Order: sequence, then C-alpha cells, then structure tokens
Amino acid sequence: MAYMLMLVEPVGQREERGVEAGKLVYDRMLGFAEALKQRGLLRGVESLAGLEKGARLQVRDGTARVLDGPFAEAKEMVGGFFLLDVATLDEALALAAECPAAEWCTVEVRQVGPCWA
Amino acid sequence: MATLEATHRAIDAVWRIEAAKVIAGVARMVRDVGLAEELAQDALVAALEHWPKDGVPDNPGAWLMRTAKNRALDRLRQESLHAKKHEELGADLEALQAHVEPDFVDALVEASADDIGDDLLRLVFTACHPLLATEARVALTLRLLGGLATDEIARAFLVPEATVAQRIVRAKRTLAAAKVPFEVPDASERAPRLASVLEVVYLIFNEGYSATAGDDWMRPALCDEALRLGRVLAGLVPGESEVHGLVALMELQASRAHARLDAEGHPVLLLEQDRSRWDPLLIRRGFVALERCRSLGGSRGPYALQAALAACHAEAREAAATDWPRIAALYAVLAEVTPSPVVELNRAVAVGMAEGPQAGLAIVDALRDEPSLARYHLLPTVRGDLLARLGRAGEARAEFERAAALTRNQAERRLLLERAGGTA
Repeated sequence: MAYMLMLVEPVGQREERGVEAGKLVYDRMLGFAEALKQRGLLRGVESLAGLEKGARLQVRDGTARVLDGPFAEAKEMVGGFFLLDVATLDEALALAAECPAAEWCTVEVRQVGPCWA
Repeated sequence: MATLEATHRAIDAVWRIEAAKVIAGVARMVRDVGLAEELAQDALVAALEHWPKDGVPDNPGAWLMRTAKNRALDRLRQESLHAKKHEELGADLEALQAHVEPDFVDALVEASADDIGDDLLRLVFTACHPLLATEARVALTLRLLGGLATDEIARAFLVPEATVAQRIVRAKRTLAAAKVPFEVPDASERAPRLASVLEVVYLIFNEGYSATAGDDWMRPALCDEALRLGRVLAGLVPGESEVHGLVALMELQASRAHARLDAEGHPVLLLEQDRSRWDPLLIRRGFVALERCRSLGGSRGPYALQAALAACHAEAREAAATDWPRIAALYAVLAEVTPSPVVELNRAVAVGMAEGPQAGLAIVDALRDEPSLARYHLLPTVRGDLLARLGRAGEARAEFERAAALTRNQAERRLLLERAGGTA
C-alpha cells in the first residue's frame, strides 16, 4: 500500500535558515531517503523549490487565471514529499517520526487512494 | 499532429543512440565534456526545430554531429581559443581560420568517422574519472553515455532530481577546474582507470537489478542500460579480458530477471527459481562473452570468476544438478584473487553443498569474530541454514531470528522470520 509523507513548512523558514544551514538540512533528508531505499520502502522522493518559483492556476467559467508566487496569504507550503510502500498508517507514522523534517516542520501522512472514496 | 508525435519519438530514439557519439566527437574539439554536452544539446534543439518541418534526415547521427561541431567551431572562435588550440586540433585548423563551408565540415566529419570509437572511449574514461565521487561518475556516465535526462536518472536511483542535477554540475566543474585532459589513459594507468569504468557500469547494473516490481520502470531499465554500456565497451576495447568478464556476468544475471520475483513481487532465491523463465538468449550471450574473456587469458579476473560462478548455475537444468564442487573451487580461486570475508562466506555455502553441512559450518564458524560481518545478516542466515540441515533446530531458529533483526529490508525480514517460525 502506498502512503505519502508531505512536508509542510512555514513560509519564510528557508530564508531565515539561510543557504548553508539549508544545505545541511538537505543532506540529512537525502540520508533519510537513502535509508528508506535500503529498506525497500521508498517509491519516490522529491524536494520542492520555493513558492516564488511556482504558480497557482484556476479555471472558472472557462477562463484560466494564473497567480504567480509568492502567495501573500500563504502561511504554509509543501516543501517536498516521500512516497512510501508500507502496509499501515502506523508504519507510515513510524517513518514520519524518523524523518528529520519532523523536527522543524509538520509531516502530513496521507494514504494513496481515489478522491471519491 | 500524428506526424509531429512520430517525429518527436524518432528524435528521442536517435538521441539515445547518438548522444554519446556527438558529445564525444565535440569533446575532442573543445576539450571540456560540460561544454561538449551543452553544444550537443544545442544540436538536439536544432533537430527539434528543423526535423518536424524538413523531415528526419537519412543519416540523423551525422546531421547532429555536423550541427554540434559547427556550434563548437563558433564557440571556439568566440572564445579566442583557437590560437592556443590549433596544434591540438590539427586538421581543424583551416576550418577555424576560414569561413566554415558546410562541405568542409562534412568532409571533416567523414574523415573522423573512424575516430569516433576513440572519442567514445575518451568520453567513457573521462566520465568515470577517479577525481569524481562514485555517485558523480554514475550520474555523469548515464547522462553523457546513456543519454538519460536528469529526471530519468533521479527516478532510477530514487533521489530527488535536484540532487542529480547538482552532482552533474559539480562533476563537470571538477573536471574543468582540474583541467582533466580528454584522453584515453596510457598503458601505465590503464588498469586502474578501466577498473573504475567497470565499477561504474556494474554499479548501474546492480541498482537496476535491486529494483522490485512496484518500482518506477526506470529502475529495471538500468540493467539494460548497463548491459548496453558494457557491450559498447567490449566493442571499444576488445582486448581487455575483464570487460568481457563483466559483460558475461551481467548477461547471466540479467537472464534470471523474469524468474527473480514471484506473483506478489517478492524476491525468489536463485535455487528456488523457475528455470524455464531464465532467458536462453542472454545465457548464450553470457557464455560467449565468458569464452572471449578466457581466450584472452583472463580466467582469474574478479568479474571473470563471478561470471564463471553465474555460468555454473546457468548450466544446471535444475537446482539439484548444480555442480557445487566446481562452484566451491571457483570461490577458492576468488578468495585468492579478491580475498574478503564475504567471499569466504559464499565459499562456505558452496562447500556446505559440495561436502555437506558440517564442512560448511567449519568455515562459517571461523568467520564469527570477523568485525566486518558483525552486522551482516547473511552470516547468521547461512549459519542457520547449515544448522537446520544438521538437525540442530533450536540453534538454527536463533540464527534466523538474529538475521531478521539485522536486515533492514522488509521483504528479507519477512522471509527470515518465516524460516525461524518453520524451525520447530
């Protein structure tokens, strides 16, 4: 069964942390991903660039509106994700607890499944 | 629209085959693999612009090569390097000083067609340069020689795309900063440099081989990529026995790919695999490569020995027909050539089959204080197996439980706990 760990971080945290500390954080996360891979639990992993490099889009009444980042009202953003292969929510939570990012942001644990269930 | 799609697919296919040659050919001109890759990418962009309108050329590789080399000449002129480089470039000198005529460049391309093998070889050795960290060599090799995109490499190795991009950028910078020459190492350096290349290729193969059923398809595709690189290498340096040894090993291991996983996607041990699912074509290719290796006098090379071991299994119609004495003898030679506790452990398994579990246990027991095996789950696994066959069930169960605690891999832990449970 697939679960996703989504890293939810406060907007502005990366800037406050700075590049050098950020690189150390990134390396710790890479180590975590590698360990998951060795255990045969990892299906995918990506780090996500900042909001200013992204955009939001809505189609309403047939018209597409694009809003460029950063988004003034956003307090939180998704910083990255791990796609895992574990049997239960408890196992996913156990891995979330091992994730270094749990120390400085929130790890949201979601089961993979259809949106209509 | 259908034509556009078909053209794009054709371009993708051509790129996979030709990318390495184009990069290699340009690298010889500009002496920098990073720049060479950029210029090759420019040629690809040009192909994406022109081929949908003009059609795919009859010789797409030559078109790409010509376009990339044109850009290279432009760049060299712009950067005023030609003054320094004209001696190195030899025949290209006139092209630099004259206005470049398409026919002239065509002639250049044709004249150097025979050299492409040398250029590819230079590219291989450069990408696997010992200055670079192993992950960097792997990423650069897949990029420059495999023609894989950054995201494909990332998915194949289950690392973020940003990490792969970083590794490649840093690798190119390291090579440029150290002014690593674009050349095939000379005889005195050849052996260790070739060993580094073979190590990279086998690393790529093993990464693909360790992929499981639910993984992204890029992962098992790495085996094909490694095999392709190995075969190309065998064609470029046909006189090197260990290259054929590695190719033989990969062909034989790959032959078992369809028998390795059961219906649920769990790994099946070699001795329990359905041998009718082993690929006879790959087995035959493996034997041919092994024979080439032996005819070059390379039977004692590490890859050759591992290939010979794989061949022993491939030859047996069923597990019961395995020539264990021969396997034990091969491990004895491997233990002389590349001694290590792991090799000794494997020898213990073979001896346990050839001469009985007591003989195997004697070898394993001698390894129990080996520090490098202290956290290696296969040591208690093997010991448990031998003890079980000697009827020492209680001790066997303890070993399987110890092994289960040591392995970080879920599927293996499950298997080991099952074995522990089954040992009354």
